[in-house]
Amino acid sequence: MPSYDRVGDAVVTPSELQYTPDASRFDEAVAPDGSVRPAWRALGAAVGAAGPGELAERQRQADRMLDAEGAGHLVHDLTGGTSASRPWRLDPVPMVIEQAEFDLLARAVAQRTRLIEAVLADLYGDRLLVRSGMVPAAEVAATPALRMSAGLQRPARWLVQHAVDVVRIADGGWRVVADLTDSPAGLGYALLNRSIAARVMAEPLRAAGTAPVVAAPAMLRRALAALAPAGRVDTRTVVLSGGPEHPSYVEHSYLAVQMGLHLAEGADLVMRQDRLWLRALGGLEPIDVVYRRLDDGGLDPLEPRAQGVHGVPAITWAAQRGGVVLGNAFGTGLAEASAVQARLGALAEAVLGEALLLQPFAGEALATTPVFDASTGLAPGRVVLRLNAVAGPDGVWVMPGGAGRVLADGDHPAAPTAERTKDVWVVGGARAGRGSIGPAPQVTAPQQVDFGASVPKRAADALYWMGRAAERAEVAARAARVVGGQVEQDPFLVTLAAGGWATGAVALLRSAQGAPHISDPLDGAPLAEVLQRELAATRATVATQVSALVQEARSVREYLSTTTGRVLGRLARVVSDLVRTDAAVDDLDLILVDLAALAGLATESTVRGPAWRFLDLGRRIERGIALLGSVEAAVGQAVDPLAFQPLIEAVLAANESLVAYRRRYRSDVELHAVVDLLVRDDVNPRGLAFQLDRLREHLASLAWPEGAALVEQAMRATFTDVDDVVVHGRRLAVDGLVLAARGPLLQLDAAVVARWFADPVNPMIMGGR
Amino acid sequence: MSATGQRFAVQHRTEYRYGRAMSDGYTVAHLLPRATPWQVVESTVLELDPVADEQAEHIDAFGNRVMRIGIHRPHDHLVVTARSVVRVDVPAPLAAGSQPTWEQVAAAVHDARDDLACEVGPFAARTPSTPALPEVVELCAGVVVPGRPIGEVVQALSRRIFSDFAFDAEFSDVSTPLADVLRARRGVCQDFAHLMLACLRAHGLAARYVSGYIETEPPPGQPKLAGSDASHAWCGVWAPGIGWFDVDPTNDQMPPRRHVTCAWGRDYTDVAPVRGVVIGPAAAQSLSVGVDVTALADGAVAPSDFR
Repeated sequence: MPSYDRVGDAVVTPSELQYTPDASRFDEAVAPDGSVRPAWRALGAAVGAAGPGELAERQRQADRMLDAEGAGHLVHDLTGGTSASRPWRLDPVPMVIEQAEFDLLARAVAQRTRLIEAVLADLYGDRLLVRSGMVPAAEVAATPALRMSAGLQRPARWLVQHAVDVVRIADGGWRVVADLTDSPAGLGYALLNRSIAARVMAEPLRAAGTAPVVAAPAMLRRALAALAPAGRVDTRTVVLSGGPEHPSYVEHSYLAVQMGLHLAEGADLVMRQDRLWLRALGGLEPIDVVYRRLDDGGLDPLEPRAQGVHGVPAITWAAQRGGVVLGNAFGTGLAEASAVQARLGALAEAVLGEALLLQPFAGEALATTPVFDASTGLAPGRVVLRLNAVAGPDGVWVMPGGAGRVLADGDHPAAPTAERTKDVWVVGGARAGRGSIGPAPQVTAPQQVDFGASVPKRAADALYWMGRAAERAEVAARAARVVGGQVEQDPFLVTLAAGGWATGAVALLRSAQGAPHISDPLDGAPLAEVLQRELAATRATVATQVSALVQEARSVREYLSTTTGRVLGRLARVVSDLVRTDAAVDDLDLILVDLAALAGLATESTVRGPAWRFLDLGRRIERGIALLGSVEAAVGQAVDPLAFQPLIEAVLAANESLVAYRRRYRSDVELHAVVDLLVRDDVNPRGLAFQLDRLREHLASLAWPEGAALVEQAMRATFTDVDDVVVHGRRLAVDGLVLAARGPLLQLDAAVVARWFADPVNPMIMGGR
Repeated sequence: MSATGQRFAVQHRTEYRYGRAMSDGYTVAHLLPRATPWQVVESTVLELDPVADEQAEHIDAFGNRVMRIGIHRPHDHLVVTARSVVRVDVPAPLAAGSQPTWEQVAAAVHDARDDLACEVGPFAARTPSTPALPEVVELCAGVVVPGRPIGEVVQALSRRIFSDFAFDAEFSDVSTPLADVLRARRGVCQDFAHLMLACLRAHGLAARYVSGYIETEPPPGQPKLAGSDASHAWCGVWAPGIGWFDVDPTNDQMPPRRHVTCAWGRDYTDVAPVRGVVIGPAAAQSLSVGVDVTALADGAVAPSDFR
C-alpha cells in the first residue's frame, strides 16, 4: 500500500503551495489537471503549511549545516579561494520520485552498469567488438580515455561504482545525459544532502515514506571488500583522494568517514614489490583494495599522458600484477568516450540481447519541478538528476535517491553552472530501504583494521600541526583578550610607571604571536600606538592560526568527531569577522570558547591511540614553548614596582593561571610563587611541568628514548633557582631558566618532525630521449 | 635470414643525476629491440646502476618489450644502459606495378575485421600527437591525389616533409605540439614522424610510429644521417597485399637502410624510450642521453670501447 495514503485528507492544491507550474510541460509536483501529484502530497502539505518565510529559514539552516560539514569550502574562501571547490546549497524542497518510476530508472541504470561492465571487459580484453567492426578500432584508439596498459589488468569487475545523469523531458519521459564510469562523484554528496534534509525537512521526509539511503556506504564497502585478491585475510581498503585541493574532497572525506576507511592521499601510498603499502607510523602496512577517487588520468604519474603528480607512481603495475585491486579498475573512463557512448544502443542489443531502456538526451525541452528561492518563492525549475549504482558481489544496487542539480537558464544538462542541489526522495514504496533493483541492502560491513592503531604518517603530521595551531591560536587569543581587557578597564595603564606595564604587555603580545623576543619593543614609538598595533597583530595571529588549524583538520576528518567539524566551521566564520572588526573582545571570547570546546573534544571524544597522541604532542610542545615565551617577555623584564603587579597578573591570566594563583597564595603577586606556579607546579594544567609530564607519557608510549631524553633535559631546567639579580633591566635567572628549558623543547619539535613525519614524498617526472 | 643483412651493435645510455637522494624511483623503459620479420635480435641486455629492487618485463598491447624497474632505497642517480646486437635485412623497395591506390588501402583499413582490425585499426587513430589539422591536409595537397598508388603517396609525402621542413635539434622537445612544428617548418625526427602519421591518418590510412636507431658513423663515402646521436623515429605504413613498410621522412629514405627497430606504437607516448618518476626531496636534476650504433661484420663482437 503506497505510503502517501497515510497522509489521508491532507491533499493540497497548487495555490496552497503558492506554485504556478509551466502548463506546457510535465511538472513533478502538479498534474495536467491542476492537482498536486500523489507522490508530492506529503511534501506539498508540509511546504504549503510552511510558506515561503519558513522555507527561507530552512534554507538558512541547510546552508549552515553544509557550511559545517564542508569546512573545506570555508578554507577555500579563507585562503583566497579557488573555483575548483565551490560551496553548494541545498534546496529545502527536494525532488520527489514515485517508487514505481524510480524502479524503471533503477532498472535502466543497472542495465547500463551491466552493459558497460561487459563492454569494458571486452575492449580491454578479447576485443570481439573491435574484431566484428561494431566498435571501430581507430575510434577507440584515438580517445585519450583508452589506457593502453589497462588491458594488462584482469579485474573481477571493472566497475564498482557507476553514476548516470538523467533528465525528465517535457513529455514526462526520461533521457540519459551522461554515464560516469571513471571515478564518479555524487554518492557521498547525495548522502550528505540527505543527512541535512533529514534535519531541515524531517516531518515530510518521514510522512512521505521516503526510502532511506543509509545503506549506501555499507553497500559500497562490501562491494570493495569483495574485490580483494583471493587468499588474502583481514583485507584492507583505503579511499584514495587527491587531497584537500581536489574538487570532490568533501565527498571523499565524507565517504571515508561513513565507510570507516582510511582516507589516503597519493603520498600516503607506495608501490613496492608489486604490492601497495600505506606509509603508517609503525612502518609500511599492506593495502588490498583501493577505492580510487582520482581519475584515470591522475592515478599513476608513470602512465603516458598522466596529469599532475597527485597519484601513486606504479599503482597500476601492482593492479596489473594482482597485488592490489582498484575500484573502479584503471581505464574505466573509456566508457565515457563517444566511441562507446554513441553506440550504447547497438551494444545493448549485441552484448546483452536487450533493448536499451533509456535513450540519450538529444536537446529536448525539459520537464519542471518546484525550486525554492528565498526571493521569489517556489518556481518551476529544471533539474538534472544523478543516480548512483554500486556493483557488488550480489549484483547491481541502485541507491533509492540521489542528488539533483538545478540548471541555470541556458545551462546544458551536461554542464550545470548553478550551485543549487536537491535531495532526491523516492516515495510510496512498499519496501522501504530497498533499491528496487538487485540485492537487498546489507548494513553490516566486513571487519576493518583498528583505526586507533593504524595512522598514516601524513595524518599524524597533520594532527601534530593541528594541535600546535590550536594551542597557538588559543595563546594569541588569550593574550589579546587579557591585554585588551586590561587597557579597556584602565586606560592609564598605558603610561603607568613610565611605560613599564606597556613595555611588558607589548613583549607579552609579541611572544603570543610567536615573534622573537627583542629587548626594546617600543623603540621610541608612542606607547598607545605600539600597543594597538601589537593587539591587531596578535588578533591576526589568531586568524592565521585558526586558518592553519582548519586547513590541517580537513585532511584528517576521519579522526575527528562530527562535532569537531562543526566547531571548526564556526571558528572559521568567527575568525573571518575578527580580522574585520576592531572591538574584538567579544569575538575573542567566542573563539576561546570554541578552542576550549575543541580541546575538550580532543580529550573527551578521541580514542587514545597514536592519532590522539600526535595531536596532543603538538599541543603540549606548543603550550610549553608559548608559556616560556610569556615568562621571558613579562617576568624576565624587571619593571617598576608599580607596573609589576598588573603585568604579572596579565601573564598569569594569559596562561589561565590567575585564579589558581589567587586561590593558592591569597596575596599580592610575588616572583617565586609565580615562577613556581607557571613552571614547576605539576598539577597546574597550564604550567610547564604539567606539559612535560604529558610529553613524557606520550614518548614512553611511542617507545622513543631520544625524544624522552629531551623532555628530561627540559624538566631539569625547570629546577633552576630564580633570584632577583637584575642586569640591564633583565632578571638573569629567569632568562637562564627560559633558555635552558626552551632549547630541548625546540629540539624535540624538530626531532618529532624528522623521526615521525619527514618522508620526502615529492614525485617528479623524469623524461628520456 | 641469418646469413644475410647487416649486423649492428646498439648502445643506449640514459643517465639521471637527481642532486639529492631519492627514496623511491620507478622507470618504464622501451629499450629492448623487438624481433620483426626483417630483424633478428641476437642479444640484448639492460644494465642498471644502481641495481633494481624489482624489475619485470612484459609485452605491451603493440607487441613491444617493456621493462619496468623499481628502486626502493636511497639513490641519487640512475643509469640505464641497453646494449643490443641485431641483424637487419633491408626490405626490397615496393614493386611499382602491383600497389593498391591509397583509396583502396583506406577502404581496407576501414573494413578490416577480426585480427586485422586489431593489428591495423589502432594505427589509423588520430591521436593528440597526430591531429588532422587543416594545415596537415594542406600539406598533402597535390600529393595525396585520387588514384595514386600507396607507395608513391608515401614516398611523395616523405619528400615534401624532407624538403619543406628543416631539421633543428634545438627547436622542439617531446612535448612540442604538431601545430608549432607546422608553423615553424622545423623540428626533429619525432616531429616529422608525427607529421607523416597525421598526413596519412587524415586520409584514413593506418601508419605507426617506429622508435629505434640509425647508424652513428655511416660507411665510408656516405653522409652521416640526421638523428644518429639519439634515439630515432620514423613511420611504418600498412597496405593490403603488402603488409607493413617503413619510411623515414627525416632522411627521406624508403625503405630505411641503416635503421634498427626498437618498438612501435600510435605515437611517441606509446613508446617513449624511458619514462620515470622519482620520489624524494626537491632538487636540481640532470639528464644525459647517449646513443651509439655501430655496424658489425659477420662474426665480429661489439667493439671494446663499446661501454
